[in-house]
Amino acid sequence: MSENGASAHKTVAKLHELGFTHVLMIPDSESRYLYDALENDPKIDLLTPCREGESVAIAAGLWTGGQKPLLVIQNTGLMEAGDSLRGCGAGPKVPLRMMVGWRGYGGAMAGKLPLDSAYTFTEPLLGAWKIPTWRLMSDDDLGTLELMDQTASETSYPAAVITGYAFQP
Amino acid sequence: MIDRMDLFRTVAEQRTDEIVVMTMTATLQWPLVSESDFDFDFLAFGMGHAADFGLGLAIARPERKTIVWKGDGGMLMSLGSLVTLARYAPENLIVFLLENRSYEMVGGQELPPGADFAELAHAAGFEGGGATGKGKVARIDSLEAFRDALPRILTEAGPHFIVLPVTNREKLPPVNHSDHAGRIQTLRKALGVS
Repeated sequence: MSENGASAHKTVAKLHELGFTHVLMIPDSESRYLYDALENDPKIDLLTPCREGESVAIAAGLWTGGQKPLLVIQNTGLMEAGDSLRGCGAGPKVPLRMMVGWRGYGGAMAGKLPLDSAYTFTEPLLGAWKIPTWRLMSDDDLGTLELMDQTASETSYPAAVITGYAFQP
Repeated sequence: MIDRMDLFRTVAEQRTDEIVVMTMTATLQWPLVSESDFDFDFLAFGMGHAADFGLGLAIARPERKTIVWKGDGGMLMSLGSLVTLARYAPENLIVFLLENRSYEMVGGQELPPGADFAELAHAAGFEGGGATGKGKVARIDSLEAFRDALPRILTEAGPHFIVLPVTNREKLPPVNHSDHAGRIQTLRKALGVS
């Protein structure tokens, strides 16, 4: 199985299938094509807050109001949003669905040094929050979105897929 | 300056079925004047994010007004959210910024004295902005003026960002950490989404 990043359009099709109503993301280079695929999507509203902590709180409000948001968030933003994730997700048991961009993964797999500290801390950090994760590295892994979604729903707790490569057009 | 409890009593008297969101110090006093399943008082919420949560609720439930009691210290913790509100806030969102110029909850330490929150909201594009292009920014300095303005604020299409200079003369009740998950479930049930 090759790891080369999932197709943005196939990913959006999967989000439609799972009934997501909103995507909150702050543009980054790895999710550029996903942003392009969502920008004018007729079924999913794309919101781009200024910082990831905002995104988490807005998503919690959307879910509390009966919507189904997805957070697309780079690992660096996840680290910034720690208190928001605690206070708006893990603490009040809000089933936040997250897609975490794993900056540094590709370089680490290619043996490039020094390692990006964002790469090093991503999985341990999610583990410390007891947030279950699945890897979405190619189109073959799109089923992980469904597992993440089901788990968040069943546990009423955040769950995440992590993406190690840029989305493909 | 407006006494915060007078402010709360005024809103509680005129409030009908609006969602009311608050965090930190406001959670200690609002429950003294209101008991509603549409209240969301959550002391230990993500710090500085009450208005962001309110924004999500307001977008999700356009048929109902969402009121946010937001502290000025919390506003400084998420100042960029003013820009987000200025872009996305729908007409049913009302943010009341409680300006006491201090971190009251943790001892009353002074806020940076030069910050003008109404001007910051203007600079973020809130006036004439929001999702409707009808965003309104105001500063109301007296209880009388607030009483006069409140019926309009509660009915007029917004979003609204209202700065309210407040003081507090009453002893704060002890900190009470509510059942956070329970508060969310109660609100969802009241909204008919669970």
